[in-house]
Amino acid sequence: MSEGLNYTFLIDTFFIALSGVPITLLVTIVALLIALPLGFLLALTRINQVPVLNWFSRIYVSFVRGTPIIIQIFIVYASVPLILSLFFEKYNININVYNINPIWYAFIVFSFSTTAILIEVFRSALSTVNKGQLEAAQSVGLSNFQAYRRIVIPQALVVALPNICTATVNLIKATSLGYAMSLQEITLKAKVAANVGYNYVEAYIDIFLVYIILCSLVEYGFKLYEKRLRRYKYVSA
Amino acid sequence: MLKINDIHKSFGKNEILRGVDLSIDKGDVVVILGPSGSGKTTLLRCINFLEKADSGQAVFGGLQVNLNDASKKDIHTIRQKTAFVFQNYNLFNNKTALENVTEGLIIGRKIPKAEAIDIGKKALDKVGLSDKYNSYPSQLSGGQQQRVGIARAVALNPDIILFDEPTSALDPELVGEVLTVMKNIAKEGTTMLVVTHEMSFAKDVANRVIFMDGGVVVEEGTPHDIFVSPKEERTKKFLKRVLPEDYTFYI
Repeated sequence: MSEGLNYTFLIDTFFIALSGVPITLLVTIVALLIALPLGFLLALTRINQVPVLNWFSRIYVSFVRGTPIIIQIFIVYASVPLILSLFFEKYNININVYNINPIWYAFIVFSFSTTAILIEVFRSALSTVNKGQLEAAQSVGLSNFQAYRRIVIPQALVVALPNICTATVNLIKATSLGYAMSLQEITLKAKVAANVGYNYVEAYIDIFLVYIILCSLVEYGFKLYEKRLRRYKYVSA
Repeated sequence: MLKINDIHKSFGKNEILRGVDLSIDKGDVVVILGPSGSGKTTLLRCINFLEKADSGQAVFGGLQVNLNDASKKDIHTIRQKTAFVFQNYNLFNNKTALENVTEGLIIGRKIPKAEAIDIGKKALDKVGLSDKYNSYPSQLSGGQQQRVGIARAVALNPDIILFDEPTSALDPELVGEVLTVMKNIAKEGTTMLVVTHEMSFAKDVANRVIFMDGGVVVEEGTPHDIFVSPKEERTKKFLKRVLPEDYTFYI
């Protein structure tokens, strides 16, 4: 069996793995689009100690941090169809829950877990912006909303960006667990290709390469953006 | 123009203001003196609603509000008529000097951008920073930052400017430039309420000095009244501590 690597398969499968990138990116982007605003708002409830929501965010964060994503996937993938089918039956809606595209479950799970991480990212970033910035903005007649949008958030974002980048890269990697619910992303596609001739090593190398390329590009993009955002910080006198 | 009646404020069990009255006329330069912890800064912050007073009223050019439950609209109106200069400058770190000055004009007051930039440049010229329009706060010295802070306040053309220990955070050699700017705008007739430890400023520029201690106004009068012939024991003690022995010589 020691024939070495099957290079034709290695190259072909690389492109198969690559064809999973759109789904991976779609899940990542949808999760971020939901998690960024939600995480930010919940972070605000923690900083401003909003009665019930503050308490909710705290439990939410420790709940998500304390459970592996794969378990969250199993729970959502197993329980949501049950709940939905009960609901559909009750209201006589004729949809087969088992035909629902798993990408919807992926959206739910990854938004859910990323929100928790971003709550903490934003909470720490917002607390680095001196309270005086908000007060100064109010004193020149800006509303709270304007003060946050124009003064506080741009400064907090600079601090948060490296951590948002880490969260994004972690999210991209975590979507590989989507194979557990047959999400047609990078990992699943390559693994399915490998099943035919047992070329698992080649498939894994391909998966490895695709993720490393994808994540490096994302990291590079964040670096450029960060440089632009923090131009006010390290300008020499 | 501005009247404050019976303002009270506590932080937890710590009673900071115990019924302070204050009345300021147009063109007044009022200096508040007092040992630290006497409530000077808190008084200023309550006037601008940066701190919510427990009770008290303010009458501001015909608008009467309760300091403890003013509506958002009233707070906004009063903030439009006042400007605040902070002890640690609080310049917007993500904005240039000019943007710091124009931010309140463009966003807060909806003044057209070109006009705001014009006003902003003039304000910065006035504080001697014509060459620093595009510098970020991180590129400016403390004294320059505080001068931008003053320009930011002046540009709003407020009825009164509140100064909260504007020179306390500065290196001694930078205090002079800020005081000079403050003297200049006082000369132009700007109404100012200044909390400071700079006795020379109180003596030379103020037309009224208020001495606070323990959350109440102990004594108030002209600089001459307070510095040369203070009546209250607490005032005398305080002045003895902060002024050089032969201070009267200079008056």
